[in-house]
Amino acid sequence: MNNNSNKSRPVFLNLFKIHLPIPGIVSLAHRASGVLLFFSIPFAVYLLDLSIVSPQGFQRVQHVLHQPMVVIALIFILWAFAHHFFAGLRFLMIDADIGVETIRSRQGAWLVIITEIIVLLLIIYGVVR
Amino acid sequence: MSLYVLEGLRPWVIQRVSAVYIILFTLYVVYSLTTAGNIDFETWRGWLFAPLNTTLVGLFVIALLFHAWVGMRDVVLDYVHNIMLRIFVFGVLIGILLGSGLWVFRILLLSVVS
Repeated sequence: MNNNSNKSRPVFLNLFKIHLPIPGIVSLAHRASGVLLFFSIPFAVYLLDLSIVSPQGFQRVQHVLHQPMVVIALIFILWAFAHHFFAGLRFLMIDADIGVETIRSRQGAWLVIITEIIVLLLIIYGVVR
Repeated sequence: MSLYVLEGLRPWVIQRVSAVYIILFTLYVVYSLTTAGNIDFETWRGWLFAPLNTTLVGLFVIALLFHAWVGMRDVVLDYVHNIMLRIFVFGVLIGILLGSGLWVFRILLLSVVS
C-alpha cells in the first residue's frame, strides 16, 4: 500500500533494546501465544481424530502424549493458551472500560502474569503426572 | 460519510463474541475434566458423542475459526505490506483453518454414522 511512507520513517525493531512497559509485554505475548496456538490447531485435530477412531488410536495418542519432547511442547502450548486466555480476559475488561487507567492497566497486567504462572504450575503438575 | 467507517467494527465484534463463547466452553471443558475421573476410550467417546457435547464442540470449532481468522488477519495486516504476498498468506491461513474445521466436523459426524 503506502511504500513511500515506509521509506522515509525511521524503523526500530530491535526487540532486545525496546523497553516495553508491562502491559506492552503482556500484549506482545498475547499476540505471540495466539499465533502459536493457531499453528497447533492441525496437530490437535490430528490427535483428536486418532483418539476417537479406535481404542488402538486412543492408546497411540496416550503414548504420543507421554513422549518427553511432546510433553515439553504440550506444556508450552497449554501455557500459551493460559496466557492468551487470561490476557484476553483483561482485554475484554478494557473493552468494557474496566482497568483503563495507567495504574490499573499495570496492575491488571501483573495480575494476568501471576494467574498464568499459577495455572502453568497446575499444567505442569497435570501433564507430568 | 460512507458506512465504510464501520468496516473495522465487524471483525472486532466477531473476535469478542467468539472469545466469550470460547471462554465459557473452556470452563465447561475444565469442569468436565475435573469431574471425569479415569478416562478411557469408552468414556472419552461417550462424552464427545453425547449430543449436547457434540453440539458445543461444533460451536467451539466455528467460534475458533472466526476468532483465529480475525487474530491472524490482524497480524498479517500489521506485518505483511506487499499485496500479493498478503493475499497468498491469507489463502494459506484460510486453507489451514477451513481444512481443520472440516476435519473436525467429519470426526463429529462419526457420532451419527457409527
